[in-house]
Amino acid sequence: MVSAILSSRRFWLIMAAIVIGLLPMIFSDSYWRTNLIVCAINVLLAVGLDFVLGYAGQLNLGQSAFYGIGAYVSTLMIMKLGMPFWLAFACGVLVAGLAGMLLSIFAVRLRGHYLAIASLGFAVITYQILLNWISLTQGPLGIYAIPPPPPLRIPGLPVIEFNNLANLFYLTAGFALLTYILLDQLVRSPIGETLTAIREDEISAASLGINCQKWKVLAFAISSAVAGAGGCFYAGFVGTLVPDAFFITESFTILAMVIVGGMGTLIGPVLGAILLTVLPELLRGIGDLRLIVYGVLVTLVVLFMPGGIVQAGQRIAARLRQRAGAGDTVSRT
Amino acid sequence: MLTVILQQGINGVVVGSLYVLVALGLTLIYGVLVQINFAHADIVTLGAFTAYFVTHLFSGNYFAGIAAALIVGAILGWLVNAVIFAPLRERANELLPLIATIGVSITLQNVMLVLLGPIPYAFDTPYSNNVIRFGGIFLTMQSVLIIMMSTIAIGLLYAFMKFTILGKALRAVSQDRETAALMGINPNQLIMLAFVIASALAGMSGAMLGPVLVLTPFAGTTVIVKAFAIVIIGGFGNVEGTIIAGLIVGLIESYTTQFLDPGLIDIVVFALLLLMLAVRPTGLIAEKREENV
Repeated sequence: MVSAILSSRRFWLIMAAIVIGLLPMIFSDSYWRTNLIVCAINVLLAVGLDFVLGYAGQLNLGQSAFYGIGAYVSTLMIMKLGMPFWLAFACGVLVAGLAGMLLSIFAVRLRGHYLAIASLGFAVITYQILLNWISLTQGPLGIYAIPPPPPLRIPGLPVIEFNNLANLFYLTAGFALLTYILLDQLVRSPIGETLTAIREDEISAASLGINCQKWKVLAFAISSAVAGAGGCFYAGFVGTLVPDAFFITESFTILAMVIVGGMGTLIGPVLGAILLTVLPELLRGIGDLRLIVYGVLVTLVVLFMPGGIVQAGQRIAARLRQRAGAGDTVSRT
Repeated sequence: MLTVILQQGINGVVVGSLYVLVALGLTLIYGVLVQINFAHADIVTLGAFTAYFVTHLFSGNYFAGIAAALIVGAILGWLVNAVIFAPLRERANELLPLIATIGVSITLQNVMLVLLGPIPYAFDTPYSNNVIRFGGIFLTMQSVLIIMMSTIAIGLLYAFMKFTILGKALRAVSQDRETAALMGINPNQLIMLAFVIASALAGMSGAMLGPVLVLTPFAGTTVIVKAFAIVIIGGFGNVEGTIIAGLIVGLIESYTTQFLDPGLIDIVVFALLLLMLAVRPTGLIAEKREENV
């Protein structure tokens, strides 16, 4: 009975919602609330990348570009055209998704390393455009005084303002949870199985009648649209945009979150994003050494624990069960 | 006008020949291993810093600096292979080593950041201010040195690959590792050799790029990104293609700076890369990897 509850998805989703609800109450200072929002945005970026990397098997190093496109497009729509936030949000997500489809033209024809470098090139070009198209983006000077998302007015409820960190966290974390649920449904549907088949062996998948190209385009579009959404929230949360926030190293950071957490699972990138956002903050005491810890961690995980935190957790759980004498459950794993 | 075109042409060849050295290392490793080494960037940076400090230590002897950078590069290449690539070889996953070297790269950059700080170092060699004039064209001794050293290095590498037994063995491993092993070649030793040569080249080119670049712990990243573009434009594993592509990128860089805007360099280079990938995608290496299916 208890194990049935523990293994049901609905139980864990409700638990996640409760934890999201409680977090800003536990962390009442603005420093940790800011970190909570950064965590939520990073979770969004990491699950987005994992969808294309862990499930479709396409190493996309251009995630920083889609993140930046979402941020800049939505911000420019608000600041230059006076568009309402949520319409601009939709535009940012849409343009990022379309940019992902543009990149997927290369993914359709390239594999492995070639795709990695093509996507890296895409990220470099995007960064340089943001930096050099000064009449539009104000280049390295950046865009300032970006308003937070407007208050949410639901009839019958008090107005929800987003100029405070707690509500902004509820908004981003809520969106991240929603994205997680949707992606979770998607990867457990036949679409997810199709993508996994392409990841494992593209030629066999094609011989079974799968249109690999179509599915790769879809995976890229979804993954980059999610990153674009992260960018929209980032702009509204930070209030300033500079191109350096979307340099190619940001792609590596997101990749590190997916790898450390465990690619090919959705919960892995969530844990990885939280760990790699919170860990540097906890290590702030040792100053510049924190990024060294970061790099070493990625290397060690790939060398010794390629399944990331999730795999390590499963191994420990399996060993505990073995010790408890439940031999039949172990033999199944 | 003609002098400007010639002047920038020379500048482009100087920078381009250094990019060729970096890119040849990547191509060499890709040839034997079909793997990408992101830490190659930081070997370039470490080479530059090694040359900087050793040159100062030997009271301005730049050649001591270059030699030291070459040795440091070789050692690092050996380490990267021994620690990252050799253990991951059995896993047969083409993306894991790449990701691991991204981790190594983050680590090395930030170790350098802690030790050396973020402020760019001014690396002037004894030859930087030694100017030769041909009509209206200026040429520093440093530029002459760079072109000479890289020509010699490329020539030696080419001769090594073409005419020595070890070079032949390396090419055999690139073509077919298993069959090469059946012929009594130890592929693991040759892969290590490829890493050592590639990284020594990277260290050496770092020593010569140091005075050209904005020398910070992150200097290598800008170089390696261009080197990737060169390697793909030239065709992975193709030495002649890499040399031509490297010089083209060098020329694009100097002419874009002169006639358009320095900020557009990367956009032009990578637009060329993406165009290349769109027009001639895997074609350049597909012939080699067909048997993987």
